Amino acid sequence: MGFHLDWSGVLAGAPLHWLVTGLVTTLAVTLAASLLATVLAVGLLGLRVADNRLARGAARTIVALFRDTPLLVQILFWYFAAFGLLPGGVRDWINADHPWAVLPANVPLISPEFLAATWGLGVFSAVFIAEEIRAGLQALSPGQREAALSQGFGHWSALYHVLLPQALANAYQPTVGQYLNLMKLSSLATAIGLAEITYQVRQIESFNAHAVEAFAAGTLLYLLLGVVLGRLLLAIGPSGAGGRTSEERQADARPAGEGRHGL
Amino acid sequence: MTQDTLSPPLIEFRSVHKHYGTVPVIRGIDLTIRRGEVVVICGPSGSGKSTLIRLVNGLERLSAGDILIDGQSTAGLDGAALRRLRTRIGFVFQQFNLYGHLTAAANIALAPRKVLGLTDAEAFRAAATLLERVGLGDKGDRYPSQLSGGQQQRVAIARALAMRPEILLFDEPTSALDPEMIGEVLAVMRSLAESKITMVVVTHEMGFARELADRVVFLDEGVVLDDAPPERFFGATGHPRAKRFLSQLLSPLHQVGG
Repeated sequence: MGFHLDWSGVLAGAPLHWLVTGLVTTLAVTLAASLLATVLAVGLLGLRVADNRLARGAARTIVALFRDTPLLVQILFWYFAAFGLLPGGVRDWINADHPWAVLPANVPLISPEFLAATWGLGVFSAVFIAEEIRAGLQALSPGQREAALSQGFGHWSALYHVLLPQALANAYQPTVGQYLNLMKLSSLATAIGLAEITYQVRQIESFNAHAVEAFAAGTLLYLLLGVVLGRLLLAIGPSGAGGRTSEERQADARPAGEGRHGL
Repeated sequence: MTQDTLSPPLIEFRSVHKHYGTVPVIRGIDLTIRRGEVVVICGPSGSGKSTLIRLVNGLERLSAGDILIDGQSTAGLDGAALRRLRTRIGFVFQQFNLYGHLTAAANIALAPRKVLGLTDAEAFRAAATLLERVGLGDKGDRYPSQLSGGQQQRVAIARALAMRPEILLFDEPTSALDPEMIGEVLAVMRSLAESKITMVVVTHEMGFARELADRVVFLDEGVVLDDAPPERFFGATGHPRAKRFLSQLLSPLHQVGG
């Protein structure tokens, strides 16, 4: 028996509409969770490098809790357990219709699914992002901090003016990787019924059994998002901003032809 | 020397002790350095030389005793008072420690802008002057990784000078340099020594000590064994332990057994 791909079951009618909805949902939850993760990572990093034992201990506990448990479990917890602990008025408000908070392709931003997924992905990713940047800090020679202190900088101003710019440059690539991970991990939100790409692919599969075509289309959408997001983040990276690593400067000195613009 | 004995004390070590855990590093040092003096501190490795000057600007905390700067106690100083003290004391590191993300000029201008509150224009104008002074007027836009060790150390000296310090501390400033680059750094230090800024220099460069130091302090196992003007330190009446140290420095292949 021959093997035929039939794209009409995926790229037309309701399945096409579902895929578009899935793409918009994945994009929206990725962006929202990325913003949340960035804000939380700044706060967590602040605790992690604080000049205070208690703050550092609290940060270590948060890191362990969210880094060493499965994200799927965390998302299920936020959706099924934590949401139920919210005051009734808040739950009713979230469950109500919010026509002003609906994206094109009929994607609601205020729903238990969207908020639980955003929160879960944001918290989980924040921990990893903060740890990447902390690793970037640890990679610096202790002499950088001593030089700053010896000039009269304090703990925080040394961090801000001397250490962080270099740590962010060191950690930039792995940090971009964490944001890409966040996008891919949003597929786990299918477990709480968030209608993102993976959810829609499975819906198509159960609707007309075009499993191969549906999963191929879904995979391509993730790949497309990953490539675009990755190139975008690298393009605004530290070679355009302040911090540059010595490797990057040496790379700049080499003839052009490779690197991020030659991909 | 008569002029130096007249000038007031600027740094006074008063029975200074420092230990890491149970390991003693500085074991009771009393030492007075007067304004305008150039003091070389030497001694075998592990004798506590670096620790001694790192105690002066609080990079290490005292275990006991006190260090007076300009008559003011610095033991237990922290927060804003410690930061203020540090702005008055320039520190030059063995490993240069230039800020890796900033150009030479920006390295020099950073603390004047962010700590002293100079405007960018003032700070960069002063940086350009200082770069000229250390012979690097054309290197202001280079990053540390694009400079040789000797050039980096000269930028580091300019960076310390940018704060207009009363005291300059040098922690083995030429020890990480290739031999052909030592001269350019010593030349800058010579011009500073002649400008009569107070300098405390931990170094093995005995030529510098002999020529430019007002006093040579010899440390061994955390105590001062000798404290003398160079003519006496290097002369016949120097301390026997110092003599052995010097002979090892001068002919490392023919070490006297110790």
